[in-house]
Amino acid sequence: MPLSADYIVRETTTNLWRNRLMTIAAVLTVAVSLALVGAALLLKQGAANAEVDWQRGVQVTVWMKPTASTSEINAVRSELKQLPYVHGCAFWSQAQDYHEASKLLPASEFSALTVGSTPSSFRCTPNQPQYATAVYDRFVHQPGVYAVGSPNSAIHAMEETITILQWVFVSVALVLLLSAGVLILNTIRMAIFARRREVSVMKLVGATNWFIRLPFMSEGLVQGLIGSAVAAAIVFGLHALLNGLANPDQPGSVLSQMRLSGWQLFSTDAVVVVIGVLIGSIGSAVAIRRFLEV
Amino acid sequence: MIRFENVTKVYKSGTVAVRNVSLDIQKGEFVFIVGPSGSGKTTCIRMLLREELPDRGRIWVAGREIIHMPKWRVPYLRRNVGCVFQDFRLLPNKTVFQNVAFALEVIGRPKSVVDTQVPQVLDLVGLAKKRDNLPSELSGGEQQRVAVARAFVNRPLILLADEPTGNLDPGTSQGIMRLLDRINRTGTTVLIATHDAALVDWMRRRVVELDQGTVVRDQARGVYGIDAATGPVPRTEVAARRS
Repeated sequence: MPLSADYIVRETTTNLWRNRLMTIAAVLTVAVSLALVGAALLLKQGAANAEVDWQRGVQVTVWMKPTASTSEINAVRSELKQLPYVHGCAFWSQAQDYHEASKLLPASEFSALTVGSTPSSFRCTPNQPQYATAVYDRFVHQPGVYAVGSPNSAIHAMEETITILQWVFVSVALVLLLSAGVLILNTIRMAIFARRREVSVMKLVGATNWFIRLPFMSEGLVQGLIGSAVAAAIVFGLHALLNGLANPDQPGSVLSQMRLSGWQLFSTDAVVVVIGVLIGSIGSAVAIRRFLEV
Repeated sequence: MIRFENVTKVYKSGTVAVRNVSLDIQKGEFVFIVGPSGSGKTTCIRMLLREELPDRGRIWVAGREIIHMPKWRVPYLRRNVGCVFQDFRLLPNKTVFQNVAFALEVIGRPKSVVDTQVPQVLDLVGLAKKRDNLPSELSGGEQQRVAVARAFVNRPLILLADEPTGNLDPGTSQGIMRLLDRINRTGTTVLIATHDAALVDWMRRRVVELDQGTVVRDQARGVYGIDAATGPVPRTEVAARRS
């Protein structure tokens, strides 16, 4: 039997208008929950962008004891040269490190330092950021080595914070998505109840099951779609806000490092819309299956 | 056109609605199913529409065995079987025209067909002038005429009516019967479940009487109760008279 688009549009619009309060509630819940999902996705991608940025400049510093002998220093130097995963190393003498400390340390701490008590160091760049740990493991217990420093622990702490935030976002979003699904289900159920006389006449005169079901299906779909469109707009706004807040004069700031590309924003919005459509379809399908006997 | 073969229907409560009923109704016949409330008349109608399935036996409608018919084919069966009910089942927010047109629209008939067939059938039931009225603006008899128009607009092979005059006064009921008779004369098989004795006696058509789900009488040109003049006519004799 031909199912005209005109019929589906007309019936869907009528149903949505009849249950407009429930429709608004369902659309808003879908929008809020999907905006949270979108925000979590933005955060994840932003964190990944920042991590690449942070690790690009990873440097491992092997600090030698101030008392380290020349042979111990030479042993470390030659071993570092032989490591295939270390791109290159620069040796900083005690005098050079003392000079740098004069710039970095507060005067009260620096006053306690002398050239003789300052450690010399090797400043090394690994081929890949993850090799920083290997350098640490290899040299931390080497004779003459005072300490091995890499910024990995700081990066991991930040990553962990972002992961926790993401999980919070996703958990809240999941609960909200579930309630959005239930709201859509209930809206369709009310629509089915409101149109029970029409449905019984339709069955009586031989309308096919799909003819009866489709307007209800499309009602849920439209609710999911509108909700997800609102969420996509919120995600777009959030992205614009964060990019606006990122100061171009401070390329090292976290917000600048987390800056998302247009493609990343588009893919996030696409995921949000797909989830919205799925929620709408599943909610209405369950309602039709449970409450519409054809 | 309609055939019941040893049909039995038992509801979950254990009530036997129909017990071992066998019945043959030929194309173009006009048949009353009579009997007191609970005798199984409505169950027979519901089984013909495949709203109920029997526990035993087989049913044929318009040449098709409907018990084992796949679910997706049921709507197509119903397009060949128009049905009228005691409570009219009209849509209160649609006009007379829209109520009748609805039956064609939901089975996907194009607008040109709707615009041709609906006025014709409204003319047949005598409601051409009330096409723009809402059901609430019509009398009970007029509402039932709309229901008949809706059931017949698709020109079904069979027209079923479950207590079609149950809510109407005797005069109006006769008008509905005349209308159904007119439809029958177009070749449509008409089957009416009723306990309106006066109408059955007045029409003098084939009468099948059910009592506690069993066919106790099948009489050509019968009356509601047992005809004192002719007495009950055996089914074999009915078949012989028809042939």
